Amino acid sequence: MSHGGTESDDPIERAIQRAHLLLPDQGPIGVFVHHNTMHAFQHLPFHEGVQKGAELLGTRPYLDLHEFRAAYERGRIDQYGLDESIGNTLGERAHEVVALGLTRAALWRVLMVHGIDEDALQGLEFARAMGDSSLPSEQLVTDALDRIARAPRHVVTDPVVLLRHRDALVALGVDDPDVAVHAELVRLCSVFLDHGQALSRMPHRDMGFLNAVDRLFETGSSEPRACKGVTADMRRIVESGMSARDVMREALNGLGVHGDDIESFLLSTALALPGWAGMFSRLERHPEEHEGERTVALADLLAVRLVYDRRAAEQVAQKYHLSTDWTVLRARVITKHARDLRQDAWLLASIVHSAHSNGSDSARRIVAMSDAELVAYFAEVDALPRLLRRQVWQEAYESRYRRQILDGIATLRPEIPAPSAARPAGQFVFCIDEREESVRRAIEEQGSQFTTFGVAGFFGVAIDYRGLDDYEAAAYCPVVVTPAHEVVEAPLSKERTWYAQRAGLRSQWNAAARGVHAQSRTLTGGAGISLLLGPIAGLLAAARIVAPRGTLALRDKIGKRFVPRPSTRVLALRDRFPDVAPVGHTPSAKPLGFSLDEATDRVFGLLNNIGLVQTFAPIVVILGHGSTSLNNPHESAHDCGACGGRRGGANARVFVEMANHSEVRAALAKRGLRIPDDTWFVGALHDTADDSVRYSDLELLPEQRSDAFGLAAAVLDRARKLSAAERCRRFDDTPLGIDPESALRHVQGRASHLAQPRPEYGHCTNAIAVVGRRRLTRGLHLDRRPFLISYDPDIDQDEKILERILAAVGPVGAGINLEYYFSSVDNEKYGCGTKLPHNVTGLIGVMAGHQGDLRTGLPLQMVEIHEPMRLLLIVEATPAALLTVAGRQAEVAELVVNEWVQLVSVHPDSGEMQVFRAGAFHSYTPGTQPLHRVKFSPEWHTQGREHLPPALVEAALHG
Amino acid sequence: MVERLMHLFLAVAIVAPFVCALAVAVSLVLAKNWLSESRVASIIRLGLTISVLGSLASIATYLGAFGIPIRGEIEYGNWLAVGDYEIPLTLLVDPGALVFSLLASVLTLLVARFSRTYLHKEPGFDRFFFLIGIFAAGTQLIAFAGALDLFFAGWELIGISSALFIGFFHERDEPVRSSVRAFATYRLCDMGLLIAIVTVHELLGSTKLSALNSAGSLPVLESSAIAALLLLAAMGKSAQLPFSGWLPRAMEGPTPSSALFYGAVSIHAGLYLLLRVSSVIEVAPYVAALGVVVGVATALYASAVARIHTDAKGALAHATLAQIGLILAEICLGLTTLALVHLSFHAMLRVYQYLRTPNMIHDAHTAGHGHHHSGSGWLTKLAPKTSERVYAAALHRWRLDERIDAAVAPALALARWLDRVDHRVRNSLSLDPRT
Repeated sequence: MSHGGTESDDPIERAIQRAHLLLPDQGPIGVFVHHNTMHAFQHLPFHEGVQKGAELLGTRPYLDLHEFRAAYERGRIDQYGLDESIGNTLGERAHEVVALGLTRAALWRVLMVHGIDEDALQGLEFARAMGDSSLPSEQLVTDALDRIARAPRHVVTDPVVLLRHRDALVALGVDDPDVAVHAELVRLCSVFLDHGQALSRMPHRDMGFLNAVDRLFETGSSEPRACKGVTADMRRIVESGMSARDVMREALNGLGVHGDDIESFLLSTALALPGWAGMFSRLERHPEEHEGERTVALADLLAVRLVYDRRAAEQVAQKYHLSTDWTVLRARVITKHARDLRQDAWLLASIVHSAHSNGSDSARRIVAMSDAELVAYFAEVDALPRLLRRQVWQEAYESRYRRQILDGIATLRPEIPAPSAARPAGQFVFCIDEREESVRRAIEEQGSQFTTFGVAGFFGVAIDYRGLDDYEAAAYCPVVVTPAHEVVEAPLSKERTWYAQRAGLRSQWNAAARGVHAQSRTLTGGAGISLLLGPIAGLLAAARIVAPRGTLALRDKIGKRFVPRPSTRVLALRDRFPDVAPVGHTPSAKPLGFSLDEATDRVFGLLNNIGLVQTFAPIVVILGHGSTSLNNPHESAHDCGACGGRRGGANARVFVEMANHSEVRAALAKRGLRIPDDTWFVGALHDTADDSVRYSDLELLPEQRSDAFGLAAAVLDRARKLSAAERCRRFDDTPLGIDPESALRHVQGRASHLAQPRPEYGHCTNAIAVVGRRRLTRGLHLDRRPFLISYDPDIDQDEKILERILAAVGPVGAGINLEYYFSSVDNEKYGCGTKLPHNVTGLIGVMAGHQGDLRTGLPLQMVEIHEPMRLLLIVEATPAALLTVAGRQAEVAELVVNEWVQLVSVHPDSGEMQVFRAGAFHSYTPGTQPLHRVKFSPEWHTQGREHLPPALVEAALHG
Repeated sequence: MVERLMHLFLAVAIVAPFVCALAVAVSLVLAKNWLSESRVASIIRLGLTISVLGSLASIATYLGAFGIPIRGEIEYGNWLAVGDYEIPLTLLVDPGALVFSLLASVLTLLVARFSRTYLHKEPGFDRFFFLIGIFAAGTQLIAFAGALDLFFAGWELIGISSALFIGFFHERDEPVRSSVRAFATYRLCDMGLLIAIVTVHELLGSTKLSALNSAGSLPVLESSAIAALLLLAAMGKSAQLPFSGWLPRAMEGPTPSSALFYGAVSIHAGLYLLLRVSSVIEVAPYVAALGVVVGVATALYASAVARIHTDAKGALAHATLAQIGLILAEICLGLTTLALVHLSFHAMLRVYQYLRTPNMIHDAHTAGHGHHHSGSGWLTKLAPKTSERVYAAALHRWRLDERIDAAVAPALALARWLDRVDHRVRNSLSLDPRT
């Protein structure tokens, strides 16, 4: 954590700085942005980083051993991958013979696959009694125990981690002071950070957390019984006007924490309620995400917390006649427990049992072990602790998948047809999102005259955008970019009157909805609304539950009939606005719309990025994406990451507005990019939850292009239904092999269902990112798992385009991938657990139950079918080109060199593959297994619900 | 003949969900593999649907659709008889019972339909539906029970299923703690009902609801005692002051169970009890007055807490509680018809609101909740200092739970002491060295 600025002399400052780095960095949940959960450790190599993080946060860095072993048993991890992984870890030392006649690699393999390391010996004994033949016999274990008991060996200890008073008190078996303290803090934090969910605000909250809380006590708030003395402390703090630092110092003193202990003690105090503390930290560093003027400071939270902590700990300590002084209290706990010898005996017996299956022989082997052999054996066992075993397993888990994909790409290569000179009938530009892979494949299967591209879904148009019904403008671009332009959506001037009327109606309706919502929670309002609207609410509930899709469709129909949306345009090109009614726009220093030059830059840049610089189809569809679902606090997590957790429809529309403009076209031609006059761009929004596609500005489509558009739209319509059907195979409650029409209805039903915790699986199962020409993968069934980024190395001089792409895609793709990784390896701590008890609080997040920690990360229902693996980043570029880019882009270099992604170079001309590992590229020789071949995708993916290896889809390849 | 029909319909409404829940339980033990999610849900839904139909058919019979209208008490003989104590199997069919039965059965069916999707892949799926079945049987039993003992049976089924739903996610500590607290509160207040039953039997010779009509003939002290005991029971189940502390904790369960129990049915069960025994409340003016005070106090308390709660389910729980307090006051004022209407409509409103709580952020985006803070309340304008004080008190809910803990602490200490004494005595008498 040395990269967090200068180190302070004050241990309190140091602890706060470290806490900022370590706490979850998730903002209010309304805009969900995926990021690497372990960002603070990204400067370390992956394995070192995740293990260090896990130790500090008390989390799991990998899947559990039994999960890996189950994967091995069902063939998900293969022998080759395991051996390769062990070999890579051991290097030269793999082939030395260590003990029991086994080489080190062989011993490690037995340890990995069969070594017993259950703590619960009774469980093992029970399993053996029940006749589990994979376990060693009782005799064997007894022999092993005899042998070990006679051997010289060091004692292995299981350390107990003590960080705060609470840990010591719990370890001593007395009351847990955190129960009372957390109940109190959760209430205080939630009212302080509330973004408008409660009807009344916390008094004095503009004065900061510490001041607001101590003033509550000043007005007569009472302390909890478990923390006597807090009231007096708080009143004293008000009177003396102590700062947060002073309060902390005093409390630490009272708790007997001094000197070197302070930093770690304070840090673990900050991490004890990570969700809420993380939100304080996030809002302190990003005040723009906060509602209202008040300042949020992590130090305030820690100060309040320590006041409570101190009194609660004192009370428990007093009750059980313990000291409050940290040094004294800590010394009371025995922190080292020697490992049970029987555990070692079980392990040895299980290894001998599996390595030498012959029963009598095994017993002899144990008895015959020399002391030296036994010492060597123990040294190996200690050298391969559980965490390292899981690290080796993780590598093996990734290896198998990586080889499948690379072999698939290699096997496809000789089949790639020569590029056709014919003009395509339709071109479709999608977001790189892996959810679009199935739509693209379904388009391509309808003929070689349809081609697709992938590019980050803001289409190079970073804007502050305000739609017709939005309250304010918001940034529609990756979070690392700050837009320099604002774009608004305005009604056509002929619709001016209707626009004004509708806006009035809308605000009245919204005010009424808010009124009912708020009033139903008051005493009199609740009574009135029960009596007036109770039966209506009952009927609504029934209708929404029994016919979710029908009722929403009906509502939309009524809305369209009586309050239709006025026709609008986006004001994309400054000084060249279409004829629209004036709309109030947020006063900002940013110019409204792009100048002609800026617009030309954007269009030129995007088309070059994706390699679409000649042979334009008559229709080019630009598809942004977003997701709509109900009763889903994590709705925004399904939106477009490249648009900062928002929907990319507006960006597509703005891009199209610019790309179709005659002056922009003329300026492009001057730069050598000639778009034929008969090419028309169409913008659209693909909803990944209900698989709807909404086109924008179709009334501008030239008459002569309507046939071509009709064809493209029909192709896309069929593709989205096929894709819906493909998605459905992942949902256990949908029949396998559902037909496309029913599938579409089904996904619409999911998106409109109030009870649906899985409207879609989002980025779940993401595993690959392919940067290169589509021909590299067109015709491969990649099971909706790759981010697909179009890039043409042939038109990229000096790696400028590649640099742009990797600088954007590397962090975004890795961020999504790693968030899924961590949320699935430890769903309770890195993720937010099951959605079912989630309770929306303060409009900023969810907590489990009525007063719990704020939960960050992804819920179980979003990650349950995910395979946690590092992103396999396959780039169609030479190793030299990649190294050049890494030299220029520090963050990309960090991700690659520290192996937070797995980088593979595919040579643009020869197709030769090189895998980056341990600081260098290593040549990869593809396997020779032929690919499975199918005519159309459904033949492949209707075979089951499991993850699929790649297959060759002939229709997409040859048209 | 028509009477036989009524017998059948009522029995079906009560027994069907119970039988289906038992069927699920038995299959769980005997044939776990056979029991897929959809089978569990279908079995329970079958039971609930039959229950709704039974309820509807009873209404039709009551209105005379099958001949002469059948009203009043329906006798099934005795459940058990010991000496001259008997538990009569008597059901009482009147408008109140029919309304409550239909309301509860339809809402339960709806929530079960909702949960079929919501709980998909949840490890506790079977348990959830089993409990829904038990709960449905309990509510139908209290709806139609014509005698207090029968009522008590249904009351207990509701109580136990409620506690088990709160502790549904038992891997975490907080749900378990909350569940125990709710259960303990229930048990404490259930004593009221239990003692009332014995007292009523002793004083009036029968526990039938119809016998309570003659409570007016008892001395004021006796009728007041019965009324007070029944009020106590209702206060526990309906979370009235000072027993309100368990309600926000009950939000630990999955959302649909919160909707069904604390938005719709279970939380109203206490009120329904008082509606059934309103003849006793009528003749006990002091208790009625106490009930009004408790109801109004709870209403004020809960609406103050609801205003400041920032979590969706907690705020709704207190908003619901405020109305429950009002309805309690209505019942004690003798406005039973108004109370029944208020109760039914309120239940429908809250079910819908509960089921939509996770939509809070979506709603805020579309309707702009977050952008338009409602203005400060009248209290803040009139007396800002008092308003702050109310805020501070409401934030920690007047420390109700802790006050109760403090109140029962001596009793617990006594119990612990007795336990130790008992242990020691047993040890000294025992020859078994292990004890």
